[in-house]
Order: sequence, then C-alpha cells, then structure tokens
Amino acid sequence: MATLSVATPSKCRDSIFSTRFAGGRAPLASSPKTPRTQVVPQDAGVQTESIHHSNVNLMSCFSRSVSKTNVHLGISDFALTGTGPRPSTAISAKNTPSRPRLGRAGSVHRTPKRTQSKVNYTAADRYIPNRSASEAISTSGAAVKLDNNEQTPGRRPKSSASSDGSAVLAASAASAFDFGRPHSSSNDTTVTLSFEGLNLHERNEDDDEDAPKTKASPNTMAYQQSVAEACGVSIKQRILAYKPAAPESSRPIDLRSQYNRPLKPAAASASQFRRRVLTAPERVLDAPGLVDDYYLNLLDWSSGNQVAIGLERNVYVWSAESGTVASLLECPADTYISSVKWSGDGAYVAAGLGTGEVQIWDVEDGTKLRSMYGHDTRVSVMGWNKHILSTGARSGLVYNHDVRIAQHKIAELVSHTSEVCGLEWRADGSQLATGGNDNLVSIWDARQLNAPKFQKTNHKAAIKALAWCPWQSNLLATGGGSHDRHIHFWNTTSGARVNSIDTGSQVTSLRWSLAYKELVSSSGFPDNSLSIWSYPTLVKNIEIPAHESRVLHSALSPDGQMLATAAADESLKFWKVFEKKAGMANLAGAGGSASTKGLTKANTIR
Amino acid sequence: MPSAMPPPNASSTTDKSKTHKLALKGSSKTVVEFFDYACNTILFQRGVYPPEDFATVKKYGLNMMTSCDDQVKAYIKKIMSQLSRWMQKAKISKLVIVITSKETGEHVERWQFDVNVFQDPSKQTHSTTTGDKENSALQQPTPDSTKSDDDVQKEIQALFRQVTASVTMLPMLDGNCTFNVLVYADADSEVPLEWGDSDAKEIRNAENVKLRSFSTNSHRIDTVVSYRLAD
Repeated sequence: MATLSVATPSKCRDSIFSTRFAGGRAPLASSPKTPRTQVVPQDAGVQTESIHHSNVNLMSCFSRSVSKTNVHLGISDFALTGTGPRPSTAISAKNTPSRPRLGRAGSVHRTPKRTQSKVNYTAADRYIPNRSASEAISTSGAAVKLDNNEQTPGRRPKSSASSDGSAVLAASAASAFDFGRPHSSSNDTTVTLSFEGLNLHERNEDDDEDAPKTKASPNTMAYQQSVAEACGVSIKQRILAYKPAAPESSRPIDLRSQYNRPLKPAAASASQFRRRVLTAPERVLDAPGLVDDYYLNLLDWSSGNQVAIGLERNVYVWSAESGTVASLLECPADTYISSVKWSGDGAYVAAGLGTGEVQIWDVEDGTKLRSMYGHDTRVSVMGWNKHILSTGARSGLVYNHDVRIAQHKIAELVSHTSEVCGLEWRADGSQLATGGNDNLVSIWDARQLNAPKFQKTNHKAAIKALAWCPWQSNLLATGGGSHDRHIHFWNTTSGARVNSIDTGSQVTSLRWSLAYKELVSSSGFPDNSLSIWSYPTLVKNIEIPAHESRVLHSALSPDGQMLATAAADESLKFWKVFEKKAGMANLAGAGGSASTKGLTKANTIR
Repeated sequence: MPSAMPPPNASSTTDKSKTHKLALKGSSKTVVEFFDYACNTILFQRGVYPPEDFATVKKYGLNMMTSCDDQVKAYIKKIMSQLSRWMQKAKISKLVIVITSKETGEHVERWQFDVNVFQDPSKQTHSTTTGDKENSALQQPTPDSTKSDDDVQKEIQALFRQVTASVTMLPMLDGNCTFNVLVYADADSEVPLEWGDSDAKEIRNAENVKLRSFSTNSHRIDTVVSYRLAD
C-alpha cells in the first residue's frame, strides 16, 4: 500500500485507475506520463512481496472494483507475471497474454489497460500465448480453473504452488494489479495465464450451456460474436436448410384457374383459347358390313381427296369432291379385306387380305397392278413410304416391299411377337413406328431395319393408334387399347416419353391437326367419342360423342380440316373438327399434298 | 431430517421432469404433425404442385389437402422426421417455408412458424440439480397448463382456415415455383448430412402479415407470412 503514494495518479485517470495504483502497479503500468526509470525500482519493491501480500492487494482492489465497477470485469483479468530482476520482461509477459481477453471483452474499463500494455510492450514477442500451448497446460492440469469471482483469491496461491513458487499466478482487477515475481520459466507462466483467461471466458459466457471442451480461440470467438452482434444475429442459432431440391412440379400451375376469376383479357384468353369445334357431323354415310375388329385398318383418305373403305370383301372408293361411290375391288369369298392404304400420291390403293396377300390397285383404271405374297397371316396394317409398302401381319412380322420390283420383299422387321395393328411412317421416311398386340411400340430407323431403334413397353394393351407430329418431326403419339387407355408421346430421337394422357377409354386412332397444335383421338369402349387435345398442354378441348358403338378407324382429309370416322355401328361420319379460318396456314407443309411434295423434293435431292 | 428430505425431493423432481419430457414429446408430435399439414396446405394453396397431385384428408375437422405424389411425400416425410427429432430436444425456434420463383430464383413468399417452448428442458434440469423447489415452482407456470386436445385442435383449425383464406389476399404466384424448408436451430444441434447452413432467404421489400397462433401445453406456434410487394 505504500506504493500508493509513490504512484501519483495522473489527472486524467478515473477511479479504476486509481485503484490500480493502490495495488502498487502504477509504476509498472508505465503510463506515458510516468517516467520509465521510476518504474523499475517500484516494481522491484513489489517483487519481494509474498503471495499473501499480493492477495491483500488483490482483495482490496477487488472490493473496490466490486463497489465501483462490475465484478465480472475485474475477475476476468488475470495477469500472471514472473518475478525477477527483469521487470520489463515480466511486464510484457503479463500484458501480452491478457490482450486477447481484452479484445474480446470490449468493455470501457478495459480500454485503458490495453493502451497500457502497448506502452509496455517492448521485448516479449515470444510470450504471446498461442492456443496449443494453453491447451497443453490445461491437460497437464497445472492451471487452476476459476469457477467464479469469489473463489479466485483463494485458489490463486494453489496455482502458484503448482508452478513451484517460481511462477506466480496473479489476479488483478481490471488489470490493476501486477505482481512481479521472480520466475525461472517465463514461458510457463504466460501459458498458465492465458489458460486462466480462457477458462474465465468459458465460464462467463456459457453459463447456461454445457460448453464443449474444445472451443475456438478467444480471438475467434470474440470476432464471431462481435460480427454476429453487429448483424443482429444470435451466435447460438443456426439457420439450416434442407439441402436436397424439392421435387419438380409435373407441370406449371396457373393459380388463376384455381382461385381467381380472370380479370384481364390476358387471363381470359385461357378460356378463349378453347377453339370452337363443330360437334355435329358434316355428313353421315352407311358402311354396311364393316368388320368390327379393332386390329384392322379399313379406312383411308387419299391426297387426291378420295376415301377408301374396306367393307367385308369389298373396297369402295368415295370421292369427297363429287360424292360418288365406286366399288374398287372384291376379294375371293374365302377371305376378307383386312387393311386399306392409299399410296402417297393418291394413285394407288394397297389392300391387305385375310390370307396374307397384298394387292395393289390403280384406282383411276380400276385395275389390279400386282399381288404380293409373303405373309401367311392376315395383313392388318400397311404404310407407304414412297415406293416402299410396309405391311404388318398377325404373325407379328413386318415386311417392307419395294412395289416396283419383282422381288418385292426388301426387309423383314422382326420385333413384335403378336399381331401388328399399328404402323406409321414418319413424313420424311426416316423412321417407322409400329405397334402390336404384344403391347409394344417399336421405333425403327429406316437405315437400320434389323432391329428396332427403340422398343417401348409402357402401354398395357395393344397399340393401334400411332401418329407422327406434323410440326415436330421427332414427336410420336401412340395410343393403347382398352386396358391401357393412355396416349403416350415420345421423342423418337432420344426415346424418351415426353408426355402422357389418360383418356379413360380405348384409343382406336390418333390424328394430329395440320393447322392447330392439337390432336384428335377416337375412342372405343366406353366413350365411343372423339376427343380433341391441345398439345403440349394436354388440355382436352372438347369431347364429341361421335358414334353409338366404338369408333374403329379415322382418316384425315388432305386439307387437314375434316376427319372421317368409321365405327362398329356401320356408319362413316365426317367431322369438320379442324376447320380453318381464312388465311390460316398449316403448321407443316400443306396437308395431304405435302407427302407428294416431299416425295418429289426427295427425288430431286437424290 | 436432512437425511430424510433428499429422497422424496429427488423423486418428485425426477417425476416432474419425466412428465415434462412426455408432455414435450407429445406436444412435439402435435406440432410436427401441424407442420406436415401446413407444408402440404401451402404447397397446394400456393400452387407449387398441381392440384391433381393432392388428395383430401379429414383432419382438424377440415378437409386438408395432402400430396399424393410419391416424391413430394417422401421429401416432406424426410424433413418432418428430422424435425421431430429436433423438436423433441427443443432445438428448434423457427420453421420457415420459402417459395422461390424458378425463373428468377427470387424468394417470393415466406411462411414462418415461430416455435416457443414454454419450458426449457435445460433450465428444468438446472433447477433439479440445485434441488430448489421454489425455483422450479417459479419456472413451472405456463399460461394454461392444462389445455385439452380439443382446444388445440380448434386453434389449429382456425389457423388453417386463415392460411386458406390468406390466399385471397396474397399476390399471385406465377406458376413455376419451388420451395425450401429452413429451420432455425440451436447452434449445438446435431445436423444430419442433408441439412446445411443457409441464409434466412428473406424477401426483399416484403410485407408481413401475422396470422393466428396456436399453443399446446409445451409449445406456442406463431405464424407470419411475408410476401413480395407488387412493384
């Protein structure tokens, strides 16, 4: 206490600083106003003091600091100094470790101390504590944990004892007290000191939590906390996100349609978009003796605007322009017509028979050009690609015939194991799609006919309805039978299924509109209707109850406006489902004549 | 006397903590179930998934829409199972469902459910260690410690009615949206691999509307919906 008088407090000091001087530290603190020379002797005088003496100092200071400032602060500052005739070293050793704590505490009372330590900071870089050192000490157990304020004075001697008296742990309130002690290993002391600081902070900050044993260094913690405080975020909380992305929605949703009445014309256009479709047939013809067989294909409309229909053993040609009907051919009594197909130029009709024979007729002349044999089962479906006629039979085999040459069979397409009932060439002739009673859709590359390019097993029933999209050449629509009822849409380049519709009834045929982005499907049991779907929205625009029994076949007029349907009720009906507005252009090419145009174009290219 | 006192004291406190634990567990279940339905309802009402993907389920005396899409169901289930783990340890302070526009990546709507736990279990254990009855008695009181299930259900029902009704006042979402689930958890929570730190995904220039709250014996859930103001 005698030191008190020696260290005359400078004017600017506040009460805390005066208490510090009371502890005899003033000389050590070496405020800029205190001459350095004075410091050393003062310090030396303190060094000779016993631990008890320091205790007294501490206690006195402590009580004062309690009364004047908060206890917390006072306690958290522990300075451990080595005694010995090297005051400057001792000071720096003691001050440097305390720095991290200071930075962290960020309280007003500490600020002065920091400036002090800076002043004192001369030679002792090596005493800057590091984490590993402090951890090592903590495991060695040489240091004492300070549980709370009250325990501090009592425990401190213990720690000094553990360091064998050579090093002393000194506690100072607001760094008011520094005890210079002689010490053999200054390293030890520093380390102990820093550890003490760590302990304290853990205690102070994590009262409520069971703090983890290993913590970030006080510096890091302090930094984090100050940043967190600045951002107004609690450091005790984390915002966690469930990282996997939410599943994709199967389609975009327009909430307007769900909740809001359309307010703007833009919204109203959704309902206006629905095109008016004539629901009454333009014309109804009798089709007596039409065989009620899903697997046959008995109706076709030529590019020359003539409709061919197979009725039992006869093929009739109805001219859509004149409305006249002519019987083209009659097959032998022991068999029946199983399929009818116009050639692309509309000049010839291919007729498949129940025996497996295929006849080609010149319509204008009314003469048979040739018969092609090869199938031993009925030919239920046919398709033209220029001069190549593909025929699918009940056996599951598909043959390609070059109708110009004597050895007509040029390819055998083996894929289906049951009756082939759907067959459609892509408009450019580069791909062929076939569907069979084995629930299989095969997509063939015209240059590679030994095996299908893709085989699609998604349908659960026979596939008769196949249609290539006129405006997107690699889009194929396929419709399944009564156990399937789906229309699937395929990207025939990648083989991917791009869309599906559950129609709710057997799909017997599919036709794309040439002018609208729509397709029409005809259905069998139970609806017997025509449905018009928008693509790619897959919205059903309209469903027309078309026939009394199942619709078996359909054919689109060459201008793409009219659809002919033949049903098991033995009627042939014409529907103007894709009526064109004036000046409307087709989406791709010019309807039925497009195939002939394509043909000539292809020929000139080659 | 001193020797006789501790045993009854200890047993009573452990009993208390046990019943409390059970109450917390039951309440957590209620709350997580609520979150499940809330999540489904928001996905349906806000058109994150098409309405055909949802089926009606009778719950809280209402027809609740729950997704029947396998992927969505599994996704929500995974979130909820982890959530219930956290809830039972009272680690959660907020659950947030953020709806984000797929086109712009902007957060357009944010449903925040604040979770308040009436009794902090860690505090509870603290009081048992000190064995101070007075303190524990002080910590006990909750607004209405005996709330019947019916009351809770009614409160939840009212909240869901409000969520459904709020659709009329919320701005239109333009179809193509996706959602994220955020959780405000204590720093010391166990975090499974699927969960990672995130920002709060706040909405710029947002308007907040506070909806109803509901409370169980151990939890109180406050609901706030934030949405982007029209430009």
